[in-house]
Amino acid sequence: GLGQGVGLTPPCRSHPAPPGQGWACRAVLGEGHQRTVRRVAWSPCGSYLASASFDATTCIWKRQEDGFECVTTLEGHENEVKSVAWAPSGNLLATCSRDKSVWVWEVDEEEEYECVSVLNSHTQDVKHVVWHPTQELLASASYDDTVKLYQEEEDDWVCCATLEGHESTVWSVAFDCSGEHLASCSDDRTVRIWRCYRPGNQEGVSCSGTDPTWKCICNLSGYHTRTIYDVSWCHLTGALATACGDDAIRVFEESPSSAPQQPSFSLAAHDSPGWVGTLHCSASVLRTSVEAEPSLKKRPRVSFSRHMSLMARAVLPVSFLE
Amino acid sequence: MAVASASSDMFDEIVMAEERFHGEGYQEGYAEGSHVGVVEGRRYGSLHGAKIGSEVGSYLGFALTWQCLLQNCTDEKNSKKMRALDSLVGMIQKFPYEDPTYEKLQEDLEKIRGKFKQVCSMLNIQSDFRIGTERSSLTF
Repeated sequence: GLGQGVGLTPPCRSHPAPPGQGWACRAVLGEGHQRTVRRVAWSPCGSYLASASFDATTCIWKRQEDGFECVTTLEGHENEVKSVAWAPSGNLLATCSRDKSVWVWEVDEEEEYECVSVLNSHTQDVKHVVWHPTQELLASASYDDTVKLYQEEEDDWVCCATLEGHESTVWSVAFDCSGEHLASCSDDRTVRIWRCYRPGNQEGVSCSGTDPTWKCICNLSGYHTRTIYDVSWCHLTGALATACGDDAIRVFEESPSSAPQQPSFSLAAHDSPGWVGTLHCSASVLRTSVEAEPSLKKRPRVSFSRHMSLMARAVLPVSFLE
Repeated sequence: MAVASASSDMFDEIVMAEERFHGEGYQEGYAEGSHVGVVEGRRYGSLHGAKIGSEVGSYLGFALTWQCLLQNCTDEKNSKKMRALDSLVGMIQKFPYEDPTYEKLQEDLEKIRGKFKQVCSMLNIQSDFRIGTERSSLTF
C-alpha cells in the first residue's frame, strides 16, 4: 500500500486510460491502520478484504457500492501482524505475527469474527500463513527455520506437523493445486518441495497413527544467490515462480520425464539412480524492461525482453507480439 | 619404576608440590562450587517456579471468576465462551505442578497461554496486563 493506506494503485501512466481499459484506483483506505500495511487478502467470495498491519491489528473491509467500509478490526496480537489468509471455505481466517503466534478466526453469517485458536508452536517471528486449497489445513513459515501445519482436532486447533530442513528463515510457502505438495522458500537460498504421505502409502513412508507425514522430496539449491522472499505455485500449469533478493524472478517447471514420487533437480538431463525426474529452471528474468505504447488499435504493440517473453509463454496462456 | 631412595622421595614432594596443591585446590574449589551452585540453582528455581505458578494461577483465578459471572447466561454465544473457559480450567488442572522434569512442560505452558489469549479475545478483554509501550524495531 501507499504509506499507511491500503490502496488499489494503477501502473504508471502518463495519461488516463479510456474507460473499460487499464486499471483505475477505486479507493484509498487510509484511515484503517497506524503503521505499515504488510499484507492484503481478498476473501474467496470477493466481498471482503483483509489487511494485516504492523500496528498489531487486522482490518476487515467490506465492499460497498461507493468504496470499502471497515466492518471490524481484529485485535489480540502483541506486535506486528505479518500475514493474513482466508480459508477457501470463506469461514476461517488466519493471521500470524512477530509475537510468534498464529491466530485462527471464524466468521459467522452475521459477519461476527471470533478467535477460535491461538497457536504458540513457533519459537520465533512467523512470516507467512497460507491455507490448503481444499482442506481446512493451515501452513505457517517462520524465522525459526521451520514450516508448521495445523488442523482442527477434537474442537481445538493443534500443530499436526513440523517441516524441518531449511537452514534459515522460511519466508513463504505455497501449496500446489492438489494440496499434496508444499513449496517453501528461505533465507538459505533454497526452495524445498514437500510431499504429503498418508498412512498406508505405497512408498512405505512411515506415519504415526492416522496423521500424514510430510517429507522433503526436492531441494532446489544453487539457483538463487540471495534470500528468496516469496514462492508461488501456479494452479493451472504447475509452474513455480520465485521472488529473490538478487533482483531476479525465476520460473521452475517439472520436466516431462518427472515421476510424481521423486521430482528432483539436476542441471543436465541425466538420470541419477533413484531420481526419475527433474525440475529445471525454464526462464529467468533479469533487469527486464517492458514497454507499452498507448494505442487506439485493438491489439496494442507491446515488446518484452526475450527472457520475459519466454516466462510469459510458460506461465500465462496468452500470446504476445514480439 | 626405578628404585626410589629417600632423597628422591623428598625431591618428588618438592617438585610435585605445585601439581599437588593445584589438584587439592581444584577438589576443594569443585566441592565449594557445587555447593554454591546448588544454593544458587535452588534460589533461581524457586524464583522461576514462582513466576510460572503465579502466571498460571492468575489464569485460573481469571477463568473461575468468569465462569461464575457467565453461569446464568445460556445463549449460544455464551456457551462457546463457557466451553473455552472450561477448556482453560481443564488444561490448568491437568498441568503437573510437582514435576519440573515433565518433558512437555514448555509445550503445555504455551498451550495454556494460547488458550488464555483466545478466551480474552472472546470476552473482549485486553490480555496484555503490562503497563507501558514497547518500541518496535525495523521489521519486514
